[in-house]
Amino acid sequence: MKRQAKTIETDILIVGSGITAALMAAHLAEHTTRQITVVEAGKPTTPFAERTRARERYLAYGESPWKQDHLDDQNAFGTTWGFSPSMNVGGLAMHWGGVSPRYSPEDFRLKSLYGVGDDWPFTYDELDPFYQEAEERMGVSGEQGPAALDPRGKPYPLPALAVNYNLQQLQGWATKAGIATWSTPSAKLSQAHDGRAQCQRCDTCYPVCPSGAKYSPDFTWDALVKTKKVTLLTESLVRRLEADPKTGRILRATGNRTDAAGEAFTITAKTFVLAAGFVWSPHLLLLSRDAAHPNGLANRSGLVGGYLAGHRNVNAYLRLPLELYPGINVQHSLVSKQFMRVPRSARYFRHDLRIWESSVGREPRLRGDDGAPLFGDAMLADWTQRAKGATARVRGYYDVIPDRDSKLVLDAGHANRFGDPMPTVAFKDAPESAALRPWQEEQLRELFRTMAKAGGGEIFRMQNSNNDLGQEHPTGGCRMGTDPATSVVDGWGRAHEHENLWVGGAPAQVSASCCNGTLTFVAVGLRTASAIAKESSA
Amino acid sequence: MSSRRGFLKAASALAAGAATSATVGATACAPDQSAQANRHDAGAPRARATGFNRPALDALGDVMLPASLGNDARRAAVTAFVTWVDAYEPVAEEMHGYGYADVRYLPSDPAPAWRAQLDGLDRLASKIRKTSFAQLDATSREAIVASALRDAPGDRLPSPLYASHIALALVAHWASSPQAWNLALGAQVSPNTCRQLNDGTRKPLPFAPTAATGGKS
Repeated sequence: MKRQAKTIETDILIVGSGITAALMAAHLAEHTTRQITVVEAGKPTTPFAERTRARERYLAYGESPWKQDHLDDQNAFGTTWGFSPSMNVGGLAMHWGGVSPRYSPEDFRLKSLYGVGDDWPFTYDELDPFYQEAEERMGVSGEQGPAALDPRGKPYPLPALAVNYNLQQLQGWATKAGIATWSTPSAKLSQAHDGRAQCQRCDTCYPVCPSGAKYSPDFTWDALVKTKKVTLLTESLVRRLEADPKTGRILRATGNRTDAAGEAFTITAKTFVLAAGFVWSPHLLLLSRDAAHPNGLANRSGLVGGYLAGHRNVNAYLRLPLELYPGINVQHSLVSKQFMRVPRSARYFRHDLRIWESSVGREPRLRGDDGAPLFGDAMLADWTQRAKGATARVRGYYDVIPDRDSKLVLDAGHANRFGDPMPTVAFKDAPESAALRPWQEEQLRELFRTMAKAGGGEIFRMQNSNNDLGQEHPTGGCRMGTDPATSVVDGWGRAHEHENLWVGGAPAQVSASCCNGTLTFVAVGLRTASAIAKESSA
Repeated sequence: MSSRRGFLKAASALAAGAATSATVGATACAPDQSAQANRHDAGAPRARATGFNRPALDALGDVMLPASLGNDARRAAVTAFVTWVDAYEPVAEEMHGYGYADVRYLPSDPAPAWRAQLDGLDRLASKIRKTSFAQLDATSREAIVASALRDAPGDRLPSPLYASHIALALVAHWASSPQAWNLALGAQVSPNTCRQLNDGTRKPLPFAPTAATGGKS
């Protein structure tokens, strides 16, 4: 006799437990009285109490601090640059770097301002309160840049991480090159806050912060679970959403436990939220095809899985006539938005700029210039000479306009233990971006050459992103818009075809700007959460 | 490479010695109260006996590590290396980040090959000098090690775990420690240790002598 699947009833079901899911859940828990259940396919993450030890082993050997944070048979294929197989409580954000810039106002009006890509269904100003909420919930330490370059409605919640000695020298150099820079906003605490410790420059923010200064989603989950504001189901893979064929309303989620027993479960809810990132959110919609929705749920436009977006970079190392001391705070940097806020020109080009200290080229050597091995004091003397001076690392992410066929599809060639096809991802630039790419990358290289010259230095290594493998800080797959023919969800993240289905964060985004995306993923998710909360309390 | 994977390799090369130091308490992360709950003994793999010929390894340390450190500091660096090798967990999951979707694993135990290489130095010493490697004079030891490293690839010190020869693993492990970096930089930077945030705004102080560096600054 077939065993009856375990059935759970809830009001709001959130699929995924990454950073967007965590902060959406926190918002919903504060703004509704509805019962919230969260399902995560992976296991609980490495407990905070074990992270100092995990850091030591990472430093010593390169061991992952997040062991068993993935399911061996649940993975994406294709051009997966920017994708992580992380699947545990907290998701990829358990090992993010905490870098938290906002997009610029232009990102939301690319079509109107530059004639490329598409406008978002809301403006930067409309997202500003949700950016602020995201920064406050995570504890972002930031420095207000020049107002014209770095607009914001309110001050950062925490003072900036100080511009350290190395960055002070590099900032002087950037100023000479005519570039305004400031302390990169980071979800790392410049002072103790909300029960978390001040940053201690441990320099392992990526991949593990031992002090708790860097925000990670487990902090939010721990608090929500402890206060019984959410129910968090781990090792539970949602494999299908089932919709009423007449009304389109989502009725239930079905799936299986990912432990050895693999027990089936069903979850009924009034509201369903996909917050499982740019791969697993569209993947679930495609998997959920049925007779009434033969191409998958929410996919009348054929755009589920489409318009995957991201950015690429050019990266360079420069020798400068400065005296730096590598290791003061390697993961902290200067940032500039000077090149994100540009007027319309004949050829579209926007990019960010980051500047770091670096130890590249200043390490000890095995051999001297004559090729003979260096031993003992000779090695140290050689190293001492090499260590003098300064290496700077510079990098610019440049904006890539996504093509409609930049997409995720189901791949019957790869299946998980349940027989579900896994996703294959193929990024593709829109024609305007593809045509501009060589010129855009040369513009970045030329900028770096100009910067080197301004500082009396030289570039000793420079390269483009090593990928046609994909793009960084990826978004899309369930893009938002006002027209159901050209988008999957509306401007609040609600599926055009399913009134009780919402997509939160990265997958709903229209484009991916040219800077780190996590803060925006969360802000977009919080905006969606606000709409859900408003409706739930109506 | 600008990849995070490349960054990880570089960080690993910079940091193996930092972690060993932390393990032995010299530069341990000193978090404030919220992190003091962090247990330093959690999840430690069982130490394995690597069985290095310690006199030979100390002699190798005398070749590879700066004499200016002093004997005590060089012995301490060799001990730290042995501790690091002993605590290695073969084929543990490697850190994965962005850029690749597959899960990768660390290499198998390098200790047997390194033991054999150390034994090889001893055998070669016996063959050509009729004595053990540890009993050789400094010039002869250096000549034997130079011969062993003749075909070592590249001109950079490798990440210690991936060193093709125990001599390189030993010096690379030491060179990745905060103390070694401080010595090379002539300043108290102590990369990869947990430090007061706002101390970073000042120019690092000159490196002060400590027992761990044999009184060198």
